[in-house]
Amino acid sequence: MTDGPLIVQSDKSLLLEVDHPRAEAARRAIAPFAELERAPEHVHTYRLTNLGLWNARAAGHDAEQVVDTLIEFSRYPVPHALLVDVAETMSRYGRLQLVSHPTHGLVLQASDRAVLAEVLKSKRTAGLVGERIDDETVVVHRSERGHLKQVLVKLGWPAEDLAGYVDGEKHPIALSEVAAPRTPGDEPKPWSMRPYQQQAVDGFWHGGSGVVVLPCGAGKTIVGAGAMAKSGTTTLILVTNTVSARQWKDELVRRTTLTEDEIGEYSGTRKEIKPVTIATYQVLTTKRKGVYSHLELLDARDWGLVVYDEVHLLPAPIFRMTADLQARRRLGLTATLVREDGREDEVFSLIGPKRYDAPWKDIEAQGYIAPADCVEVRLTLPDHERMVYATAEPEDKYRLAACAPGKNKVVQQIVDQHPDDQVLVIGQYLDQLEELSAHLDAPLITGATTVRERQRLFDAFRSGEVSRLVVSKVANFSIDLPEASVAIQVSGSFGSRQEEAQRLGRVMRPKADGRTAHFYAVVARDTVDQEFAAHRQRFLAEQGYAYRIVDAEELDEVK
Amino acid sequence: MASTPAPRGTASADAPGDGPAARRTFSDTIRERPDEALVALLRERPDLASPSPSTLRSLAARASSRTSLERALARADAPTLQVLETVLVLETERPPVTPADVVAAVGAGGPVADGAGADPEGGPDGATAVERRIAAALEQALLWDAGEPGTPDLRAVPGLGEVLGPYPAGLGPHRDAGSRQGSFRQAPDDGTDPDGIAALDDLPPGAREVLDALTWGPPVGVVPPAGSAPRRAVDALVEAGLLQRADARTVVLPRDVGLALRGGRTHRDPRLEPPRAEVREVPAPTADAEAASAALEVVRLVDALIDLWDEAPPSVLRAGGLGVRDVRRAAQALGVDEATAAIVVELAASAELVADDGEAPPSYVPTTRADAWADADEADRWAMLAAAWAASRRTPWRAGSRDDKGTVRAPLSPDLHRAWVPRLRAQVLEALAGQPGAPLTAADVLAVLAWRTPRAVPPEAAVEGLLREAALLGATGAGALAGPGRALLALVSGPAQGMAGAGTDSPAFARGVSAAAHGMAGAGSDDPRERDADEPVDLVEALRAVLPAEVEEVLLQGDLTGIVPGRPSRPLARLLERTADAESRGAATTVRFSASSVTRALDLGATADELLAELAARSPVPVPQPLEYLVRDTARRHAALRVGSAGSYVRAADPAVLAGLAEDPRLASLGLVRLAPTVLAAAVPAAELHAALRERGLLAALEGPDGRPLGRLRRPPRVDRAGRRAGAPVATSAVTDDGRRALVERLRAAEAGDGRGRGPFPGTATGNGGALGASRTTALAAGRRPDDDADATAVDRLRSMSAAAGDALALLREAARDGEQVWVELVDAHGTPARRKLRPLKVEGGRLRALDPAREAELTVAVHRIAAVEPAEP
Repeated sequence: MTDGPLIVQSDKSLLLEVDHPRAEAARRAIAPFAELERAPEHVHTYRLTNLGLWNARAAGHDAEQVVDTLIEFSRYPVPHALLVDVAETMSRYGRLQLVSHPTHGLVLQASDRAVLAEVLKSKRTAGLVGERIDDETVVVHRSERGHLKQVLVKLGWPAEDLAGYVDGEKHPIALSEVAAPRTPGDEPKPWSMRPYQQQAVDGFWHGGSGVVVLPCGAGKTIVGAGAMAKSGTTTLILVTNTVSARQWKDELVRRTTLTEDEIGEYSGTRKEIKPVTIATYQVLTTKRKGVYSHLELLDARDWGLVVYDEVHLLPAPIFRMTADLQARRRLGLTATLVREDGREDEVFSLIGPKRYDAPWKDIEAQGYIAPADCVEVRLTLPDHERMVYATAEPEDKYRLAACAPGKNKVVQQIVDQHPDDQVLVIGQYLDQLEELSAHLDAPLITGATTVRERQRLFDAFRSGEVSRLVVSKVANFSIDLPEASVAIQVSGSFGSRQEEAQRLGRVMRPKADGRTAHFYAVVARDTVDQEFAAHRQRFLAEQGYAYRIVDAEELDEVK
Repeated sequence: MASTPAPRGTASADAPGDGPAARRTFSDTIRERPDEALVALLRERPDLASPSPSTLRSLAARASSRTSLERALARADAPTLQVLETVLVLETERPPVTPADVVAAVGAGGPVADGAGADPEGGPDGATAVERRIAAALEQALLWDAGEPGTPDLRAVPGLGEVLGPYPAGLGPHRDAGSRQGSFRQAPDDGTDPDGIAALDDLPPGAREVLDALTWGPPVGVVPPAGSAPRRAVDALVEAGLLQRADARTVVLPRDVGLALRGGRTHRDPRLEPPRAEVREVPAPTADAEAASAALEVVRLVDALIDLWDEAPPSVLRAGGLGVRDVRRAAQALGVDEATAAIVVELAASAELVADDGEAPPSYVPTTRADAWADADEADRWAMLAAAWAASRRTPWRAGSRDDKGTVRAPLSPDLHRAWVPRLRAQVLEALAGQPGAPLTAADVLAVLAWRTPRAVPPEAAVEGLLREAALLGATGAGALAGPGRALLALVSGPAQGMAGAGTDSPAFARGVSAAAHGMAGAGSDDPRERDADEPVDLVEALRAVLPAEVEEVLLQGDLTGIVPGRPSRPLARLLERTADAESRGAATTVRFSASSVTRALDLGATADELLAELAARSPVPVPQPLEYLVRDTARRHAALRVGSAGSYVRAADPAVLAGLAEDPRLASLGLVRLAPTVLAAAVPAAELHAALRERGLLAALEGPDGRPLGRLRRPPRVDRAGRRAGAPVATSAVTDDGRRALVERLRAAEAGDGRGRGPFPGTATGNGGALGASRTTALAAGRRPDDDADATAVDRLRSMSAAAGDALALLREAARDGEQVWVELVDAHGTPARRKLRPLKVEGGRLRALDPAREAELTVAVHRIAAVEPAEP
């Protein structure tokens, strides 16, 4: 046996010893087919999943390569059953192909008749396919292309979509060589895409449609811009909220040849349709009298590219709409493929396989995102509050613990320790945030704050005019706060892992002076708050961010 | 076919028994055997020695009895059966039979006329294999040689024809030369003219097809309806003497015609080698690694089972065995399916780690051996399980199925006991060993076993069950026999064992088990190399050889996990068992620390500092801060609530009443502890406390139900199994070659004193009582199940009543064979004896069919009505 860095477990997890001399080679070799599950300091855990193996197949890797890689890097003999299973699973991808037939249009073609027979026998494919042309081919209703792919993944026979895409309406887009300054008066700076961004764009374009996984702060918007430039067509961009839409617009104007007039915003307040249109998930999923009233946007132009920001948050109705957009190129952007609702397979079948992935730590090591120091501060509740907590109804417990008044003092203490930093205080409950805002004498941004006001405050925060900001969960997604170097989380939505990732992302943007970012979570000791925090932190630790736990009383000693 | 110099007349050579050599009989050859050959015979066919025969003639009779032959044939492999069939056919068709004839007829001897010469199994190797089997068959007295030294004349043992059925090798009945009619003449012996059935050319169309259909058997065909073309062909064939009418509706291809059509061959394909499965081989390191991880896993499962039953012993069903609910509970606790749980339960019981405690009501509890188990390391533990499995007669795969009455068979119930399991286990392991590296399925193994003993093919479910157990135990890895499996195979079939693998009575077996026991006793302390160098099988070492190296370190990480990049050493495994929960096992172990797992460690008495120091000592990296915080935080909260046990309590509204009681030396025996100013706890039961207080002049009122024990229950008592362990776990047979030699000597003595031994049972029943009794004991000691004899026919019942009755049967058989007359003393239904002179025709199935020449009648009598047989004076 080789003295490899990898240990292959029969439960399909792969343990990679980070300090091993061949660890990097092994990481690169297994990255195409194994999902990184945990990346703590010494041993990283990868997992082999069906979707991961199919992603690898989609990227052109075959089972033999996977098996050879496992054997090459494994320290111990690889479990036989696992190798058999890998080969079996990978052979399932591509036995069915969606192709364009010269006379019959869209057809499902099988290289294995038995598979086609099995699939057609299933009740779930009924109505999705039409006439059987021969033993290996069956007509697919054009409108059911996405739906069929979803069903086939569920049946365990994922189809390879080779039916191609519509060209879409041409609209020349190019990346500009100099980025316009953010604040008027500054010099324009020359820029170019970072190597990994370029790789992501190429990977996506080569695959046709699919998802690019990059950490927060790694410049997903630029990958989107790069894809648009490559496509050179009209583009529909779907984002999570209006603030995010504005930021996309600003960034596109800065980084590409597009002008403000070419970019439209389709949101609750404005309904512009331009060659590049940025729409929010919310407006698309708004129902009026039981119907989605803004669906026509999807057909308003002959879009050549659809970009989905934050794919892991894509709401279910958007999935259904996406099922009808299968003839258009689709780019998904996300920091994590983990979905709290477990619908990873829909992302796979409807947006497309993973086309590019880079672990946070790698990009951090390249200096593109800031290193972070995570600290959990535990606050002991005073006796009377503990009594109230102990006797509270279970559904109120989290709120009680999360909003413990003692947190205000702790936050104040932390803020005082960072006099020169831009500090963001993030929380879930409005009354708590209002209290904190008053306590710290810092402006508050919530969902109720007008977009104009938000923009104003964010601009002030960026310029350093305001150094402390209290924000509600609107801050979770896609607001660009480049110089926030300290984030303090006082409450969160229960144990959401991806929320934690997003919030950490707030402080991840590289700092001008290269200083370390700080992420604090303030939790009440011996309560559900602490349990939820543990769940969230597990994610951070798994992402390789060491965190420390300190007692609120000993906070002075930290730093 | 090799030409045989012996003259062969067309008519005179038919009946064996002509010529001077024919005077010798099968009995004679038995008597002429040297002592060692007799010993060998008794060794090969142990049933002949038990009960002990009184004379060599009765030994010969028993060797040709149907029951004994059935047993011998059940152990014969496919080529042996082919050889026996061939001799049986040739001895009537083309005597005398030489080994070369057999080789040629089986098709193992090189090119033959019908084109089968390209047979890959032909050639000298094939010939050797056939000759080896002839030699073995001679030794086992399945064949005998009627010729003089140098001129072999092989014969089948009398009675073999009956056992092999009417159509040996698919050939029809023998007919005398005299009864041959029509134009058929025998094909030349050299096989140059396989179509030498000259008459064929003149036969109607379709005749050739009819013959082709019957050539390779079965030789019986249904007569087509009258008037059809095939009917005309059949009629012509009958006319030509190529077919015989068997009855109104069927015709049969006579043996001589069949043999001629086959070109002198008896078998189309010699089956000299066991069938090989076409599978992709597993590399040996892979098989060993998987076996090792299975072995570790099964040890862990048994460990978990012992823990589970320590906590809550399941009760024993009234009919014996473990109830469905308890099986399910075990399966859940072990995280396996119920079938696997049943195997684990049976394995633990076979290793005597758990047992019925014999209480009322009875429960299954860990035994004292479980304590030895707890001290042993993984390899020693595995050896305990493996040695127990090797000897086990349990069939756990049948658990969960329903018996004839519809009752679900329970694991651990006596119902799952089967005596044949060890033999089949050895055969299955041998079949796996026959194809090293090949992952064989149950069907593949079954194909090999069907070749090895075609007349006793085991049920597929049993093979499947044993394979599953073998995989679970780590005897196989990825389906192929691995290192530990080879050690087990060596254990179950010692070097002295032949292909039949009589299994458990092998001395090597007992040695292997004691080696395992030795390993267990010396666990942890002794150097394995101290063991005897000539120890044949060492399971502990066999497993150690495939186990990955032990790792002493655990990598502690900030996400509260720890990774052992290999197999944890025993102390490390214990530390992690106490302090963390395993998340993933296999080549490496991943554990997770949580508040509950740390609490568990604290419960066992460790302090936070001790725990952290222990972890730090085992970790090459500093203990991560979150883990340290977790341990300290848990320890801080650990003592916040405290639980203790007390026998009773005293409470009072006024603290003054209780003042001084706890410190009073006269009440020290009560174990009073002050819990609060108004509450004292006592160690003694309430009644005793009550009485003691009363004695001291304090009138107290009893509260609640008295005498109820509080606190943690004492550990249930364990059943002592250590004593039984000292002896060999498997009863080894008392029948050794020394014993066999003694028997042969006795037989020789009887022979000398008894002349020809043809007397009608002179005092045999009493005279041999001692020997009979002794042999019974031997049979029991050998672990023979009582129903071994259930299938015995009347012949055997007769034999067990009077050992010399075999003489009578032998006389009858020989008379039937030679067509001689004998005096037979019959006892009728009223017990009245009658003496008649008969010509026996056949002795079969416990009945004698004979001709009474005086009355010109044929009669059939049950052999148990025959009191005596004497040869009639010529």
